[in-house]
Amino acid sequence: MTMMDEDELSAAIHGAADEFEISNEAKNRILIEARGSERQQRRISVPSYLRHQSRGLQFLRVAAVIIVLAAISIPLFRGEISPAKNKVAVSGTGFLQPVTLNSEGLVVSGSIPSPQKTATSQLSVTATSASPTSHGAAVLSPKIESTGSVDLTVKMGQVNSSLTKLGALATGDGGFVLSTQANDRSHGTGSFSSGTIVLEVPQRVFTKFVSQVQRVGKATSILTSSSDVTSQYVNLQARISALNASRQQYLAIMARATSISGILAVQNQLDAIQSQIEQYQGQLNVLNHATTFGTLTVTLTQSGAPAHVTHHRSGLSKAWHDGVDGFIAGFEWLIRLAGPVLFAVLFLGFLLVAGRWARRTVRRRRI
Amino acid sequence: MQNSSGLNDLELWLEEGYPQSVRTAYLILGNRHDAEDAVQEAFLRAWKFRHSLSKESSFKPWLYRVVVNTCNSKLRQEIPHRDRRSDEEDLETVETRDLVFDRIALANDVMSALKDLPAHLRTVVVLRYYADLSEREIAIAIDRKQGTVKSRLNEARRQLALHPALRLEMSNISNSDEEITG
Repeated sequence: MTMMDEDELSAAIHGAADEFEISNEAKNRILIEARGSERQQRRISVPSYLRHQSRGLQFLRVAAVIIVLAAISIPLFRGEISPAKNKVAVSGTGFLQPVTLNSEGLVVSGSIPSPQKTATSQLSVTATSASPTSHGAAVLSPKIESTGSVDLTVKMGQVNSSLTKLGALATGDGGFVLSTQANDRSHGTGSFSSGTIVLEVPQRVFTKFVSQVQRVGKATSILTSSSDVTSQYVNLQARISALNASRQQYLAIMARATSISGILAVQNQLDAIQSQIEQYQGQLNVLNHATTFGTLTVTLTQSGAPAHVTHHRSGLSKAWHDGVDGFIAGFEWLIRLAGPVLFAVLFLGFLLVAGRWARRTVRRRRI
Repeated sequence: MQNSSGLNDLELWLEEGYPQSVRTAYLILGNRHDAEDAVQEAFLRAWKFRHSLSKESSFKPWLYRVVVNTCNSKLRQEIPHRDRRSDEEDLETVETRDLVFDRIALANDVMSALKDLPAHLRTVVVLRYYADLSEREIAIAIDRKQGTVKSRLNEARRQLALHPALRLEMSNISNSDEEITG
């Protein structure tokens, strides 16, 4: 016999189990205990909608958590959380540290933030004081910085005259010549074989000027770029404004100072603030200039001489290279995408396993 | 109103299920006092978490699940660290009190065979042959698949059939049956 008969087993087990009487006292004990715990439960009552959440609600909760996690993690992967690039940031808080006056004189405490620190840490919009620039930022026209380069091929012996012509064009449009450089490669012929001229022209005529330049010779390469520096501009203005406000406050304190030590302390702060203001003002001036004038670098080459720049592809070659570039870009994109996807899969898998385990454990412990 | 109806529920559960639950726990734990403690704890837990019993699921396997879980936790946490002499004393007092020796001997052998079974096999045997739960209900009670229950039952029956005490008892019973019919 390898298996025990079910009826025999059942009868034997029943016989073993029914060996003793069950008293009613135990039942009463349970009821008394239940009454006690009920009273305790009533004291710490949890709303029923929290206690009994349906599967749908639980699912929604989990989904919400996943969405929130995804919303946090995706920008992280895509590198969107980086120092504010295009944020128009205004810092209107002054740099003035708490100043206290006592009966003996003046005590000044505080420090002036370094330019490096302020450049990174004060990029948030905190226009607490009535800063004129923060209001001005709203109506500020966009500040655009334009640069460009044009490669021109001119006829033999015309490099010099072309340089002159380009200078005249810039002056005529309200600009000026920043630098000129001519190279003699023809060894003793007296004419320049190539040259470079850097021109500054007003921003408003920059595009028109680029097209004028192209007519001087045969353009082999044109490259122009513009960048919006409004945020930097506004930021600098705001910092200067805040520093000026601090400076005014220190001046007011200085007028009330009675002791030499107090005056010296305030003077130190004022000097530091002044230095900061000048530094920022210098940066603002550079930015002002860059946005008032566009910079165009023109490279002139005599026809017949090897061109400085570029070989433009065309036709099949261009299509082939574009195709290869596209393939590589696609492959790079796939690799880039694989990381977050793998992470998301692993993370969801982990959540699933942990959730199932937790559910099981809780269920077992509960009952 | 709701609270008093909750206590009424508990009273009803105790009336219907307490004796059988205690005996089931006794078979699993092998000790009457442990069984009573476990069942008391189980009923209180079940009553506390009565909301987790969905309307469509049946009450009996759910209650047995609570009882089995409580017994399991007792087997895991309390009983292994205790002096086992108290169990033996318990059996001895039963033996001297009752004079129907055969019945007692069989009961003792069954208990001894059950004790020798691993806890997971013992539980399914008790639920099936004492509590009369179906395989599906046992699956709910122990939170395992029905196939697992079936295989555990087979394994338990195989091990019980090989147990020396039960083999002897069963052969005695079949011999006496043959004598009566003969």
